[in-house]
Amino acid sequence: MSQEHGKDWMGAPLPRKEDRRLLTGKGKYVSDIVIPGALHAVFVRSEYAHAKILSIDTMEAEELEGVERIYVGEQIKHTIKSMPQPIVQPNLPAHYPTFWPLAVDKVTFHGEPVALVIARNKYIAEDAAELVFIDYEELEPVLDPEEALKPDATIIHEKDGTNEIFSMTFTGGDTEESQAENATEVEQIFQNAPVVIKERFKTHRTGITPMEPRAILCDWDDSDGLLAYITTQRPHIDRLALSDILDISAEKVQVIAPRDQGGGFGIKAPFYRENIIIAYAARDLEQPVRWVESRYESLMNVGQERDQINDMEIAADLEGNLLALRNFGLADNGVGTVGVYWGFVMPFLGAIELPNGYKWPKADIRLKVATTNKACLTPSRAFGHFPTRFAIERCIDMVAHKIGMEPSELRRKNLVADLPYTSITNEYYDSGDFVKVWDTLLEKADLTNFRLEQKKALSENKYVGIGFGCGVELSGVASELFVPMENQPGFGAATVRLDPRGKVQVFGGDAPGGQGHETTTAQVVASEFGISPEDVIITTGNTGSTPFGSGSVGARMGSYFISAVAEACRQLKTKITKILAHDLQLEASVEHFEFKNGEVIYLGDDSQRSSFLSIVERIIMFPINMPEGETGGLDVTSFFEAAKPMICFNADCCVVEVSLDTGDFKILKWITAEDVGNVINPLIVNGQMHGAIIQGISNTVFEEFVYDEQGQQLTADFEHYKMATAADVPNININYATTPCPHTPLGTRGIGEGRPSSVPGALTNAVCDALRPLGIEITTLPLRPDAIWQKIQEASH
Amino acid sequence: MYPAPIHRYSRPLTLEELYALLNSNDDDVLVLAGGQSAMQAVKSRMLRPSHVIDLQALSELKFIRTKKGTLTMGAMMRYVDIVSSDLIPLELAALQDAASRVGDRQVRNRGTIGGSLCWNYSAACTPATVLALDGKINLISQGGSTRQIAADDFFLGPLETARSESEILLSVDFKLRGAKSGSAYKKWGLITDALPVIGMATCLHFDNTDRCKHVRIALTGLANGAERCTAAEAVLAGTDISAEKITQAMSAACEEVSTYSDSIATAAYRHQLIKTIGSDVLNIAKKRAFGLA
Amino acid sequence: MAKIAIRINGKLFQEDIPERMLLVDFIRESANLTGTHIGCTYEGVCGACTVHLDNEAVKSCMLLAAQADGHDITTVEGLAQGGELTALQEAFKSEHGLQCGFCTAGILMNMTDFLKQHPNPSEQEIREGLIGNLCRCTGYVHIVNAVLKVVQENQLKKA
Repeated sequence: MSQEHGKDWMGAPLPRKEDRRLLTGKGKYVSDIVIPGALHAVFVRSEYAHAKILSIDTMEAEELEGVERIYVGEQIKHTIKSMPQPIVQPNLPAHYPTFWPLAVDKVTFHGEPVALVIARNKYIAEDAAELVFIDYEELEPVLDPEEALKPDATIIHEKDGTNEIFSMTFTGGDTEESQAENATEVEQIFQNAPVVIKERFKTHRTGITPMEPRAILCDWDDSDGLLAYITTQRPHIDRLALSDILDISAEKVQVIAPRDQGGGFGIKAPFYRENIIIAYAARDLEQPVRWVESRYESLMNVGQERDQINDMEIAADLEGNLLALRNFGLADNGVGTVGVYWGFVMPFLGAIELPNGYKWPKADIRLKVATTNKACLTPSRAFGHFPTRFAIERCIDMVAHKIGMEPSELRRKNLVADLPYTSITNEYYDSGDFVKVWDTLLEKADLTNFRLEQKKALSENKYVGIGFGCGVELSGVASELFVPMENQPGFGAATVRLDPRGKVQVFGGDAPGGQGHETTTAQVVASEFGISPEDVIITTGNTGSTPFGSGSVGARMGSYFISAVAEACRQLKTKITKILAHDLQLEASVEHFEFKNGEVIYLGDDSQRSSFLSIVERIIMFPINMPEGETGGLDVTSFFEAAKPMICFNADCCVVEVSLDTGDFKILKWITAEDVGNVINPLIVNGQMHGAIIQGISNTVFEEFVYDEQGQQLTADFEHYKMATAADVPNININYATTPCPHTPLGTRGIGEGRPSSVPGALTNAVCDALRPLGIEITTLPLRPDAIWQKIQEASH
Repeated sequence: MYPAPIHRYSRPLTLEELYALLNSNDDDVLVLAGGQSAMQAVKSRMLRPSHVIDLQALSELKFIRTKKGTLTMGAMMRYVDIVSSDLIPLELAALQDAASRVGDRQVRNRGTIGGSLCWNYSAACTPATVLALDGKINLISQGGSTRQIAADDFFLGPLETARSESEILLSVDFKLRGAKSGSAYKKWGLITDALPVIGMATCLHFDNTDRCKHVRIALTGLANGAERCTAAEAVLAGTDISAEKITQAMSAACEEVSTYSDSIATAAYRHQLIKTIGSDVLNIAKKRAFGLA
Repeated sequence: MAKIAIRINGKLFQEDIPERMLLVDFIRESANLTGTHIGCTYEGVCGACTVHLDNEAVKSCMLLAAQADGHDITTVEGLAQGGELTALQEAFKSEHGLQCGFCTAGILMNMTDFLKQHPNPSEQEIREGLIGNLCRCTGYVHIVNAVLKVVQENQLKKA
C-alpha cells in the first residue's frame, strides 16, 4: 500500500482503518474502560410528570451492604452551582430554567433524576435504588404546547412566570415595526394570490437514539484533578462546563471521548446534568465513579425531538411561481432542562432552515416554543428541521396539485438557481448547483415512465405513488451562527505532527461516533504527503492532547476539520520543500515539487528528489545547515474558518405501493441525488446517506415517544419504541451530482447531519400521490397504516 | 435492568429431580424454559424468584411423537425445532406459521412451546395457535400423576393459566384429522414479526361434500389474550368457506370483541385487521386443506 | 452464590457468581471480553449482546450465567482464528458494513450462525434474519451487501 500513488486516496473507496478492531471486539467504548475500584451509580428517577417532592427517605437504601453514598437535590443544591451557566447557554433571548443535577423541590417530567445511589456494583446499586422512598404530591401536568401557552395554564418553572421558553420572528428585519410591516406585505400577497394552500402540519416526538446509551466514568486525583471519560460529541465543551460548574480549575479537568463511540447523532452533544453529579461524586468520594445509562433511562430522557406544529401557508400563481410563505411554528420543548440546547435551539434552527432550497420573494416565519412536563428535546440528526421540512415539502406538493402541475416540476422551477444566495431568513447558501442535482434525480426517477406504470397499476386496482423532497443542509457551522446559537466557535482545528520515521499523527478535538473520521483523515493526509493511509494515526476527543474543537456536530468534519487538516499539511509541505530546495540548492518553492509514492520530487528535474522519510527525519533530527530563519521540527496546528457559512444539497425520490385494505405501504424504490462536494471516501459517504435516510424512514413511520394524559411516558423500551429492522426498510440508490465547494481547500462539504430531513416529506408525498384518486392529503406524522386507512375510509364515504 | 437477588439455581436432569425441587416448599419459584419472556420479567423485577429451576436438561420434554392419530409435542420443543421438524403434518402448519415468526431467530433458538403456553402473554402467537388447533395440554404434578386439559380451559386470561404452581406442562396433544384439514396463523404488528397487535389462527376440517365440518378460530393481541371467535365459527360451520361467508364471519368476529385505541392502532383499525387477517388465514387454511397451497 | 464453569472461545472460566448474574456480564466482566455489548434494558430486543451458545445465536442478556454453566460460548473475539478474519468479517470490511461498531459483534455472531443454517439465502431472508439486531448507523444496506457477498463467494466455491 505504501507504494501507491498519493493522489489516488482522494475519492478512493478505502476500507476503514477503524474496522479491524471493531470487527474483532477490540473496540473500547466508555463502558469497556476499567478503572479498578470504580463504584457504580444508579439514578432514582421521578415516577410523575409534575409533582412536589415532600420527602426522600434514603435510610434503608443507605444501610444496604455495598452502598457507598446517596445524594439528593436538597443536599447538593448548596454545593453545586445551578444552571444556567454561561458556558452552556446560547446568546439567544430565552427563559432559561434554573435547575440542579438532581430535582430540587419538585419534579417536572417522568424520568427526571431525583436521587443518585453509588454502590460497589451495579446490581447492588439497583437494589438500593428500589429502597429509596420518595413522597410526592402530584401536580397537574402540562402536556400540550397550545394549552401550555394559554393565560390560565399552570406554570412549570414558576420563576420564569411563563411556559413560553422562547419565541422569535425570523423574517422582516430586527424591529417590531419592520416585522409588522413585513407581515402586512405578506398578508397582501396572500389576499391577492391566485393559489393559496393553508394547512396545519404536525410532527410527532421522535429522534435518533444511538445504539450505545450515555455513559461517564470519572476519576479524581488530588493533584491531577478530574479525569472524565464521557460518551460525548463535544469533549472540549464538556471540560469547560465541568470546570465552571464544579469550580475545578480548568487545567485540572481532562475529558476524553474514547475513539470508539456507539453513535451520537446529536444525542451526545448536550451537556447533561448526570455528568455534573457523577463528576462531583468522584471528587466527593475520592473514588472512581461510573454511570452507564440503561436503554430505559435513555428513552425516558434523551433522543426526543421534532415535536412540533407548523401552521403553514403558501401563496403561488397559476404558473407555479412561489410568491410567499407564512409559517407559525409551535414546538413542544419538554422541560428545557438540558444544557447547550435547552431544547429550543433546535426549533430555532429549524425555523431558519424552513425556506429550504426555494426562492421565496416574501415570507413571514415565526416560532413559539412551549415548556411542557416532558423530557427536554435533545438534538437529533436533521437538527430542528425535520418538522419544518415535512411541512414545507408537503405543502409544496399540495400547491402543485392545486395548480395541476407535477410537484417535481414546481420544485425545479422555484429552486434557487444562482448561488451564493441569502435566504429569506438570512441563511447564506455559499455554493452549489441545485438544479443540476434535481435534474440528476429526475433522470434516475424517470417520471414519465412512472406515470404510465402508475396508470396501468390503477387499472389493476393497485395504488403506487412517487414522492419528491429536497434539503439544503448545513456544511459545518460558521462562527457567525455558532456564537449566537451556542456561545461556541465554529472553526475547525487540527494539529498535524510528522515524526522522524515519516509517520504522521493528527490531533482533532472533535469526537466522532462511527463516521469514519480516522480513515477519511488518513486518506487526506496520505494524499497530501504522497504516503500511505496506514502511516497516518489520528487522535480525537482528548482535551489533554487535541486542539479546541466545538465537537462532532453540524457536519463539521468534511467542512471545517478536514480543511484544517489540509491547511496544516500544506503549511508543512511549504516548510519541507523550502528546506529540501535549500539542501538541493534549487531556487524553488512548494509548487515546484510533487509529493508522490513516498517521495518529494522536483518537477523541473526529477533526478532531484528525496524520500519523504529522509527529508522529514533530516528536518526533525538533524536541523543543521538550515535555510535562514528556519528551525527544526514539523508540527503545525491550523485553524480553518470559512468566510461565510456553507451548505450542501440533496434530493430524494421514492416510490411506494399502498394497500387500500390495510393502509400498509411498501417502499419499492428510494433514489437520491447528492451534492456533497468532492468525495474523499465514497464507501463512507454512501454509508452516511443510507444511515440517514433509513433513520428518516424509521422516524417517520415507526418511532414515536408517547406520553399519556398523566404525563407517563409509555415508550421507554424497544418493545414499545419501535425502531426499523432490516426487514422493514428498502435499499437506497445514491447518486452524486457534485459541485466542488469553492471555499474549502479540498472542495469538500460537510455532510450527513441534516440528511434525514427530506425523508418525511418525500415519503408522505409518495403515499399521497398513490392515493391521489381518493384525494387524500396527509399532514400529520407518524405515517402509520392505521392513519392512512382512516383517511381512505373517510374518502370513500 | 438487573434481576433482584436469586438465592438458588437448579437444573434437574429428570422429572423426579424436578418434583423433588418443587416439593421443597420454596417461595417464589420460577420454572424456566427458554426464558425469552420470563427473563424480561425477571430483569424488570416484575418477577422476583428466589429459586430458579432451569428445565434445559430435561431431554424427556423435548420430542415430537405421533401415535394413533395424535401428535404429541414436548414442552421444551423450541420454535427453531418446530420450524425445522419434518414430523409436523401440513394440517398443523399453523404451528410452523407461528413458530417461524416469533421474535427473531435468536429468540427462536431459545423460546419453547411450553414456556409460551404457560406464560400466556396477551400478545403471543403460540397460545392462540394451540387454541385454534384444539390442543390438549398435558400437565404432570409432583406425585407423577397427569391430567389433560383442553386449551379452551387452560387459558384463563393474560398471564393466567389453569396450571397450578405444583404442576409442570409436559406436552401438548394435537388430534390429526387427516385429509381435507388445514390450518394457518398470521399476525400484524407495526414492524416485521413484531408482537401481534392482532394475530389470528384457524383450523378447518372439511367433510367429503367439501363442507366445513369443523372450524376453530382464535384471536390474540387484544386485552383478553388468546380467545376463540365463536360467533365467526358459527357463521362458517357447515359451509364451504366462500369469500362471502368469510366476510360475514369476520364481521361477526368484530362484533364479538371489543377493541381499543392506542398509539399503534385505533379500535376501528384493530377491527379491520381482524377482517383482513382473518380472511387471509381462512383462505390459506382452506387451500392447504385441499392440497392447493 | 453458584459455582459455574463456562468455556468461552475455547477457554474455561470457572467462578463463583451470584445466581442472578446475567451471562452478558459474565462475559464482559468475569471473562473480560468486552466485544459483546449491552444496548437495551430488560426487553432483549436490540441484539447487541448476541453470542453463540453451543454454536447457536442467542442473546446473552436474556440468560443467567448459570444457565450457560457447562456449555460452550463463542463471542466475537472468538471468530477470527490466528489473527485471520473470517470471510464474513472481511466482507463487512470491504462492504463498509459497520460504522460505530456497537451493534456489529451481535450482527456478526447472528449472521455467522445464520449462514450455517441458510447457506444460500435471498436478500429478503437475510433481512428477516437480521430482525434480532438493531443498527442505527448503516441503515442495513451495506450489512446486507456484506452477507450477500459471502453467500456469492460460497456459491462460487461450490461451483
